Amino acid sequence: MQSTFTGIEIGKRSLVAHTKSLTTIGHNITNASTDGYSRQRVRMETFEPLYAPHLNRENTPGQIGQGVDATSVERIKDEILEGRIVSQANQQGYWEGRDKYLLMLEKIYNEPGEFSVRSAMDKFWEGWQELSINPSERAARQSVLERGKTLIDAIHNRYESLKQTRDMVETEVTGAVSRVNSILSDVSALNEKIVKIKAMGDNPNDLLDRRDLLVQELSSIINITVDNRDADEFQIHTAGIHLIQGRVINYLSTEIDPLNEGYSKVTWKGTGGEAFFKGGKLASFIEMRDSDIRDEIQKIDLMTVNFIDNVNDLHKQGWGANGRTGVEFFREYPFVLSAEGNYDRNGDGEFDSSYIFRITGGNTLSPQELIGIRGTMTLSGADENVAVDYFPTDTVQDVLDRINNSPAKINAVLDRDGKLVMRAMTSDIIGTPDFVIKHVEDSGQFLTGYASILAAGGPDGAYVWETADAVASLQSGERAAGFAVAPLSHPGGWVEINKAIISDPLTIAAGFGENGRPANPGDGSAALAIAELRNKHLMVGKFSSFDQYFSSTVADIGLKGEQSETALETQNLVMKELDDLRQSISGVNLDEELAQMIKFQHGYSAAARFISQMNDMLDTIINRLKV
Amino acid sequence: MKRISTDMPNNDMQYYMRRKEALLSRMQGKIAGQSRIQNLRDDPVAAAHSVVLKSNISRLRQFSDNTGEIQSRGRVVEGYIQESLSIMHRLNEIAVQGANGTYKKEETAMMGDEVNQLLNELVQISNSRHGDGTSLFSGDRSLSLAFRPVEGYVEGSGRKLITNVEYTGTINPGMGEISDNSYVESGFPGNTLFWAEQQIVISSRNSDNFFVRNDSSVLIDGVKVDFKSGDNIHAVIAKINDSGAPVKASLDPVKSSLTLSTTEPHQIWIEDAEGGTVFQETGLVKAANTRPPHNIAPDARISGGSLFDMAIKLRDSLYTGNVIDIGSSSLKGIQDGLNHLVSQAGKLGARDERLELVKGRLAYQIPEITAMDSRETDIDLAEAITELKMLEFTHKASLQTAARILKPTLLDFLR
Repeated sequence: MQSTFTGIEIGKRSLVAHTKSLTTIGHNITNASTDGYSRQRVRMETFEPLYAPHLNRENTPGQIGQGVDATSVERIKDEILEGRIVSQANQQGYWEGRDKYLLMLEKIYNEPGEFSVRSAMDKFWEGWQELSINPSERAARQSVLERGKTLIDAIHNRYESLKQTRDMVETEVTGAVSRVNSILSDVSALNEKIVKIKAMGDNPNDLLDRRDLLVQELSSIINITVDNRDADEFQIHTAGIHLIQGRVINYLSTEIDPLNEGYSKVTWKGTGGEAFFKGGKLASFIEMRDSDIRDEIQKIDLMTVNFIDNVNDLHKQGWGANGRTGVEFFREYPFVLSAEGNYDRNGDGEFDSSYIFRITGGNTLSPQELIGIRGTMTLSGADENVAVDYFPTDTVQDVLDRINNSPAKINAVLDRDGKLVMRAMTSDIIGTPDFVIKHVEDSGQFLTGYASILAAGGPDGAYVWETADAVASLQSGERAAGFAVAPLSHPGGWVEINKAIISDPLTIAAGFGENGRPANPGDGSAALAIAELRNKHLMVGKFSSFDQYFSSTVADIGLKGEQSETALETQNLVMKELDDLRQSISGVNLDEELAQMIKFQHGYSAAARFISQMNDMLDTIINRLKV
Repeated sequence: MKRISTDMPNNDMQYYMRRKEALLSRMQGKIAGQSRIQNLRDDPVAAAHSVVLKSNISRLRQFSDNTGEIQSRGRVVEGYIQESLSIMHRLNEIAVQGANGTYKKEETAMMGDEVNQLLNELVQISNSRHGDGTSLFSGDRSLSLAFRPVEGYVEGSGRKLITNVEYTGTINPGMGEISDNSYVESGFPGNTLFWAEQQIVISSRNSDNFFVRNDSSVLIDGVKVDFKSGDNIHAVIAKINDSGAPVKASLDPVKSSLTLSTTEPHQIWIEDAEGGTVFQETGLVKAANTRPPHNIAPDARISGGSLFDMAIKLRDSLYTGNVIDIGSSSLKGIQDGLNHLVSQAGKLGARDERLELVKGRLAYQIPEITAMDSRETDIDLAEAITELKMLEFTHKASLQTAARILKPTLLDFLR
């Protein structure tokens, strides 16, 4: 038999359920603009009706409804969409980080404009041109000097700006790593609370929202995947490694890498192994720092070192107006003071490497000459040695072109006297020195007897940098090969004009002189030869001339910027679409909420009315019957 | 989208406004900077072209400067050549007049005085300097005088007069670049310009058994000729004749000695390259470390002289009244000199013409390449302004839409 007060009980249940619903509407409305908030709904269900099929059930027709019950509070969320957003966000993060720094690099170029390294160099060559026409003038020399200073300033400026940008990216890397760690510990703390609340049978909606928000931020920094299958152990992976598993965290850390000029590498705190990422801001920062910006620095270094070497080579042969000769125009700082370039690379107290930048053959060659011999040269490439063949029908120029077009990290040109010059380029591998010739070998006669660079052919006669006194394998004697020790790293940072020239501009050479005699005042041949360098086929690394160097580098960085801009725009759109989709599902709509509010308000009023009706009925029974 | 959350219109608006404003600001930047390329990414390929073109323009300007400078130097020289020519014409007249045999010695001596004055003027001209103080005719020894007059007693004049004029300059004319890898001589060495006769140097040493002992070279008028060890005198002669130097080598039929003669009038300029002894051993030059032109071996015979030599010879013949000499060798010398000077003036004119052509080409090329560069990087203002207007218009439209985001909600209708 039902209780007399069943009606009031049913009304009360409804009042409670509708109050809960109204409170949740209030929660939704107030959080309409909260980041990562998903709207919530109170799930209303009918209360257990009477009677359950027990033996002691009353024998009346059933079942009689017992009103409403608010069973749970749920958030409205599409977990699959969330997974997609997490997997996309790292792309956006990657291009965001890349685009920002590429734009900075473009700005450093200052092109096309009047204040770039290129325009300073144009002015410098003009200075030499003027000196070649007026070789006896002091004013022309002064102008060469001042333009040289401007050029050096421009090179320094480019180098310093690049270096500063690289340092900035370094702070971004360490910042990103510490942000990852702090997100991980926040997520872990949330996991703990969430598990506890779930154990009590409740839905930790707000905590889940907060965790999702953190995970999304994490996914913009590194590429992650989220595993939600085990309700008790929320997992985040990156590249197959657990970042977080419930409460267990695998933290990242940064470690200074002595091989990479003291920039830090990202490692796992637990194992100490290096961590690699494919997407996200962190990956873009590491890539910018160790590839793009490093490349740019190497390019300015490459240009500087070839520029210094070529100008000095000619300048040393010329005679100044004050009768001095053999003076360098730009000061050179060798990497090692040893004349043979010997260096103790691993620091064990014994020389183990030879740092040689340039080797000059002892024979005079002519570019059109048929070589008439056959063989294969083995030269150092980016990571392994490169084979360059030559055939009896090749001219000297053909062989040089083949070397220069091969992936070898060595270029070859004929100098003013027709001697074969081989110069080293920058190194692709972090940790090996730039501007060091690593390997030169010839199975035939071209580099040995013909150009007179190597003393002997075959693998036994090869020049290999990883030995002390490697120059012993070069041709000696009457047609000895010449060589120059590698410069100190980053010439873009230290290049300067020789003090002897600054203190007396008359030291600047204008003429080569004749038959070994000092140049006469009107001899402008050296100045003309230096001015010619500008457009000469002299190989700046893989660039055939300074003109080509400047235009290629400009196009290169511009194309990178163009690509990143487009990619970022695309990713932004993709993310916006996904975000809109999420908003469409989880976002709060005030109209909807207000309509719901009215609904619940009415429900509440009706329940109250029902209770009042019940009250009247009881009143009838208790007070009117006047027992 | 089936369901629009309250935040969505706002988010949308912000997203599109940000993009519009970025586009607007970029367009404004382009118009303000008058350049299509604000950042290299705006058009990397055009930027790369522009970099090369800008360098090219600065180079062409330099070539234009070089051309102008060399040309003006040439025109100054031309003035001096004209003056020398009128002097030579007068000398020619005097020689013809003096040779007719009706004048007494006193009268020819008076003619000699005039020749002497003209000679002084000729020497003066040969030592003239350019506006910047450099010597015009001394090769690359541009700070010293080109010719040094030596004075001595001359029979019949009764005073000390110029008896010899020595060249103290060099043969290096200097080069100027007037287009990429194209050069023009910028100077006029006096030992070619003021020369009159072919010069011949005859060694007095028999060279039948001569052979080159080590690989070595000689320099003839600045041209390097390489010899290999074992070359005999005939090989040496062949190599000299093939070298392109304006001299011809031969073996003197009587003495079997090496003989060099010029193919166009100028002073022979020979020396052994460092370490070589070919000319020394064949008896053409003195011991090493002596410079041309004063290094011809003392026993070698040398003939053929400069304009000054011709004038001096004429003057001396006039002073002594040697009518036969006046009418023969002196007159021929003067006429040779006159011819050579005319041909030099022609050469100078040809060079000037070439420079004029280069200048004309540069005057056309520089604006053309500047225009090319401008097409690559400069902004088309009409297009840019139209685009800016379009952007402004769409921006305004999105602002108007934005104003509607604060659309009425159910709230407005609830009590």
